[in-house]
Amino acid sequence: MKRMGENGYVKQSFVQDTETLRLSSVNELKELRSILFETLDENKPRLVICAGTACHASGSNGIIRIVKKYILEKRLADKVALRITGCHGFCEMGPFILTEPQQAFYVQVGLGDVPRIVEALLSDKYVEDLLYRDPATGEKYYSRDDIPFFKHQQRSILGLNEKIDPIRIYDYIAQGGYSVLEEVFSKQNADWIVQQVKRSGLRGRGGAGFPTGLKWEMLAKQSGDQGKFLVCNADEGDPGAYMDRSVLEGNPHSIIEGMIIGAYGTRATEGIVYVRNEYPLAVKHLKIALKQAQELGLLGDNILGTGFSFDIKIVIGAGAFVCGEETALIRSIEGKSGEPRQRPPFPVQKGVDGKPTVINNVETWANIPLIFKSGADKFATVGTENNTGTKIFSLVGKIKNTGLVEVPMGITVKEIVYDIGGGASGKAELKAVQTGGPSGGCIPANMFDVSVDYESLAEVGSIMGSGGMIVMDENTCMVDIARYFMNFLKNESCGKCFACRKGTQRMYEILDDISNGKGTLEHLDLLKELAEVVKDTTMCGLGQTASNPVLSTLRYFTDEYIEHIEKKHCPAGVCKALITYSINENCVGCQACIRVCPEGAITGEKKQRHVIDAAKCIKCGACRSVCKVEAVDVV
Amino acid sequence: MKQDTAILNRDNLYAEEEIDSKDILRILEKYARSRGGLVAILEEIQSKYGYLPETALRTVSERTGRSLVDIYGVAAFYRFFSLKPKGKHLACVCLGTACHVRGAQEVVEEFEQQLGITAGQTTEDREFTLETVNCLGACALGPVVVIDGHYFSKVERSKVKQLLDQGRKGLDKLDIEKDERIFPVDVRCPHCNQSFKDETFIIDGYPSLKANVAMDHKQGWIRMSSLYGSYNVCTEHEIPEDMIVSFICPHCDSEIPGTSTCSECEAPMMPMPVDGGGRIKICTRRGCKNRMLDLV
Repeated sequence: MKRMGENGYVKQSFVQDTETLRLSSVNELKELRSILFETLDENKPRLVICAGTACHASGSNGIIRIVKKYILEKRLADKVALRITGCHGFCEMGPFILTEPQQAFYVQVGLGDVPRIVEALLSDKYVEDLLYRDPATGEKYYSRDDIPFFKHQQRSILGLNEKIDPIRIYDYIAQGGYSVLEEVFSKQNADWIVQQVKRSGLRGRGGAGFPTGLKWEMLAKQSGDQGKFLVCNADEGDPGAYMDRSVLEGNPHSIIEGMIIGAYGTRATEGIVYVRNEYPLAVKHLKIALKQAQELGLLGDNILGTGFSFDIKIVIGAGAFVCGEETALIRSIEGKSGEPRQRPPFPVQKGVDGKPTVINNVETWANIPLIFKSGADKFATVGTENNTGTKIFSLVGKIKNTGLVEVPMGITVKEIVYDIGGGASGKAELKAVQTGGPSGGCIPANMFDVSVDYESLAEVGSIMGSGGMIVMDENTCMVDIARYFMNFLKNESCGKCFACRKGTQRMYEILDDISNGKGTLEHLDLLKELAEVVKDTTMCGLGQTASNPVLSTLRYFTDEYIEHIEKKHCPAGVCKALITYSINENCVGCQACIRVCPEGAITGEKKQRHVIDAAKCIKCGACRSVCKVEAVDVV
Repeated sequence: MKQDTAILNRDNLYAEEEIDSKDILRILEKYARSRGGLVAILEEIQSKYGYLPETALRTVSERTGRSLVDIYGVAAFYRFFSLKPKGKHLACVCLGTACHVRGAQEVVEEFEQQLGITAGQTTEDREFTLETVNCLGACALGPVVVIDGHYFSKVERSKVKQLLDQGRKGLDKLDIEKDERIFPVDVRCPHCNQSFKDETFIIDGYPSLKANVAMDHKQGWIRMSSLYGSYNVCTEHEIPEDMIVSFICPHCDSEIPGTSTCSECEAPMMPMPVDGGGRIKICTRRGCKNRMLDLV
């Protein structure tokens, strides 16, 4: 067998023993890619199945097993292939099977459907009854790309997920992965890398939107005698957002490639991915990916024989929202309590272990290889002038098509909610969209024309944040939402600053009073005052933005607050102390509600309208959730 | 930071379970040079015991030179750590915003009512611990509940009782006769390509797969269930838990080499061709359930 560095080594190892292959030059990486590219057979019929966390929850692992069973039993391995991938975004429709090259999209597939789908694919036919249908129009779609949810997106990052099995580095390389390293290493010009990122206009996808190239430039200027750090912030703490999880799970090598480029440009010596432990699958895939990259010679000492060394380690968070804040994250990496500290010094001056550190979010890192693949100028043509590129949003809540959507920056909320999301999920009208997680704010329905970019969202009192987009309808109470976020923030406040520790608690208590019918109009003034004080007198990002849920709901939904206070009424029917349950004339007398009522508060004969005893009713909603004829009213 | 669940309750702190300080020392050794320091050490202890026993924390304090109060401070700061032992089953309700607007709070209330405890507590019989989590990132499927690592989507109040029943019965148990996701595979030697199938020895109702294993200068046979999804085995000599063994083909007597390492436990993974196309990789560590069936 030929040894590393010899002519023909890659080819021979590839045929004989791929697992011990180690690349020692840029040319060998090129050679490997061309061998992999030859073996790609894009016309071979293939089933693509998502095994991300959401589809896994819907049972995709069972589907995958049945596919394997069927292919082995029928000896079809030569004729049909299987690719297990990360998230495609349309999580609501899982488990699904996408076929190649047909692009048929079979949704909510059952175990028994597998043989039909395989056979149809082999004869280039379709299983008509399993194809995706638009729930509103009933229209059937033969190609995945025509489905409105996908059609209106621009999936530069997410689009790669369906092409690769995240635990196979060769899949990534065959799709052009790590190809940017060839150009980066052959140019041997660190400054060129930083300038390209600056030219691309990329801004941090973690929320604040700081220009990434500028951050890198500052790190590059720092002395590197003691070492410098690059950190990938995968502590995706915003509830209701899961973009980073999907990228890490579905395409971990893109993060690694981005970080290698970043390290070469800034002369960083060590990389760290800080990932939250609530994402076990992301941790697993990242660990596998790091190991593969190390074994292949893309990470570690003397990468591809260039003399450049860089390695990445993984640190797992232990569940603290505040650790998404840069300085808290650094302390957590050091194994301490994640309490933020005063800036300056900024992490780029004094970060992990007191050494210069740059922290970028998962999605930011995933954008780096794209910039170099397309060229910085071309990258900058997507989106708007100061907001370039695409952004992934997690479109969830009371919306028809829930899932992850990737769109060019500068598109309107309306386009996302209606063209891609398909509008409200139920009969109730949409009321608002909440963006930016607990630090963000609400955008009311009459302002859905706002452009989704960092500045416009800030103008209307919300923020871009990391990309959570939670849709709310008439059945969502805005006082309850403010109360929910404030409860979250008071639990997650680290307690270092008094104003945040006590301020979030007091704001929560006032909101709780209002939702219990004990609020007064003076409470509203007090809330505003508290909100301003917390904003002005706290140290870190968590505290400074903690008032946003209160301020933005007060700004756009004062009427709702006043109705809670003056009329002791919750128009959305959410705040328990202010609502009563009753049964209307739709009741068919099926007694289903009587059986589930934990308090025995419902009475009534069969086939006769039932009655709820308001004195006994604890407003748990059990009756409403079992009623099939919508006979339970909440007023 | 964390709510009252983290407050030190001395009655509960002493473990019923014996804590082997050797285990703790091994964990300390493992993380001595890696990043994450104390947090990583506590994470591993928490995963091993389901909580942070006081004896373990004392050992950590002695060995790392960090004061016990300092360690307690870190343990109390993060939500993942618990100073109390947890129940046999763990039910976790997601309270992320997407789950919240779809009624997750009612689901929590129903769990509380059914179990007679509040979130953060463990039932008296130690069967269930009920927890809430800020967000699991499965937002499209809310409300989401995870019981013993199994995800359940779009959970409604009326489904809670059924979930608890399933949890009590054990979600990891497989019904080999009824579960259509389990199927037999015929595995061959990568050297001589002869089948390992042994018609004379039946496991799970199917002919088993026979090979020889070597460990500690000893050789003996092993018969494994041929069902993909079943982990039942019979061995001539008892193989201690966690031990790595090497497999030897019963036909050509050659050792089957491990080519990659297991993503779960770092032991060698052994690839073997499968009848019908493809290959299966099996982790060679006793007790590790990592298996990968690749179709080629």
